[in-house]
Amino acid sequence: MIRFEAVEKWFGQHQVLAGVTGEVKRGEVVTLLGSSGSGKSTLIRTVTRLEDIQGGQVLFEGVDVAGRGVDINRLRQRVGFVFQAFNLFPHLTVLGNITLGLKRLRKMPKAAARARAMTELDRVGLADKADALPSRLSGGQRQRAAIARALAMDPDVMLFDEPTSALDPEMVGEVLRVMKSLAQNGMTMVVVTHEIGFAREVADTVWFLDKGQIVESGPPAEVLDDPSHARLRSFLSRRR
Amino acid sequence: MLEIIENNWLLFLIGQYPHGPVGGLAMTLFLAVVGLSLSFPVAIALALARLSSHRWLRGPATAVVYVVRGLPLIMFIFWTYFALPLLIGHTVGGVATLLFALVVYEASYLSEIIRAGIEGLPKGQTEAAKALGLGYFPTTFKVILPQVLHNMLPSLVSQFVSTIKETSLGYVISANEVTFAASQVNNQLMTQPFEVYGLLALTYFTLCFTLTSAARWLERRLAAERGALGIQPA
Repeated sequence: MIRFEAVEKWFGQHQVLAGVTGEVKRGEVVTLLGSSGSGKSTLIRTVTRLEDIQGGQVLFEGVDVAGRGVDINRLRQRVGFVFQAFNLFPHLTVLGNITLGLKRLRKMPKAAARARAMTELDRVGLADKADALPSRLSGGQRQRAAIARALAMDPDVMLFDEPTSALDPEMVGEVLRVMKSLAQNGMTMVVVTHEIGFAREVADTVWFLDKGQIVESGPPAEVLDDPSHARLRSFLSRRR
Repeated sequence: MLEIIENNWLLFLIGQYPHGPVGGLAMTLFLAVVGLSLSFPVAIALALARLSSHRWLRGPATAVVYVVRGLPLIMFIFWTYFALPLLIGHTVGGVATLLFALVVYEASYLSEIIRAGIEGLPKGQTEAAKALGLGYFPTTFKVILPQVLHNMLPSLVSQFVSTIKETSLGYVISANEVTFAASQVNNQLMTQPFEVYGLLALTYFTLCFTLTSAARWLERRLAAERGALGIQPA
């Protein structure tokens, strides 16, 4: 579904992605691990061209996302993105955050958009907060609302960029539970996270990135329990 | 002083209306309100053009803003007064001339406030809109500008105060606002310029001080609100 082919990305003189190659299959849950600065967030941001790349290719369903004739806004509608900082629109209610895309892009009438949004809010357990402004929500609730916003667009794949890193520890669980149930329902997901437990329990595949490259990948049991790479060993030992 | 007020308060407030055109304080407020309202959409367009990635949009907009901000308003009014009739082929009244000059002038200043507001918004807002698949216009008009304009309210009131004061320059091209009214009264009385212009000063001060206080109050409220939202002003 998503293929990275020798992807290279530079921020000025600094190379963030140094030839990343890998594939995410439909229905698969891939977890990206790695210390900060290893390029994992940047990598998923290249899928919807929140970051442009300088070398290689990112293919979505076989199509180069940077290719000519690609309607990037159409592509983005098929790829849900959840940010570390939630990035809800503070001037809109929770419901308004979700219906904006439905009304503008799916051209849904108000009532239909509202009904659709309520379905998603129900799914993440926030139906009672529909008319609240994001400022009235806890961090965990904000992130769940952001997930609902992305889901409402009916994406083929969901990308999560450290979805629990900005949360107080006691709110991490509620967000991970939502993500887990998504995975169980067959959603294709790419998750950048520091939650080893989530990777172990939910992921089909773990990619460990170091210095802009995937240095180890495979099923979580293999990668996490029998790390061959020294970097990964020290990364894991710091998180026990 | 009281006598001046007694005899001339109506002229101060509404000019010679209903025996002549509306003027005085009513005209001053009209000019400020309409001037600012009309300059607002122009300012938004200028700000967006200045932030555009297209050089042929950014260049001219930047030039306009820099040129206008580099000129005194009075000069701008003179230029409009003499050039506008040549351009459109017939004479233009003082009020219309002043309004035109004010709109262009205010739009340049407002556009800088709007531009700063857009640039000051957390980057995540644009990114979230993009990630949803929203294009430039829905992102700008549904996500970015509503937040920017909300944050801008205090600056907008301050700009309104400046505009009120700037309308007094209409006097030089006989736009019959409140300064013009005051000078008419002064010409009639001949001997009491301090009292007349003192009254004029008091009028401006009362109006502007009230509005500035309102702006300060708004600013405090927004700051409190932003604190509650946990939004960093970036």
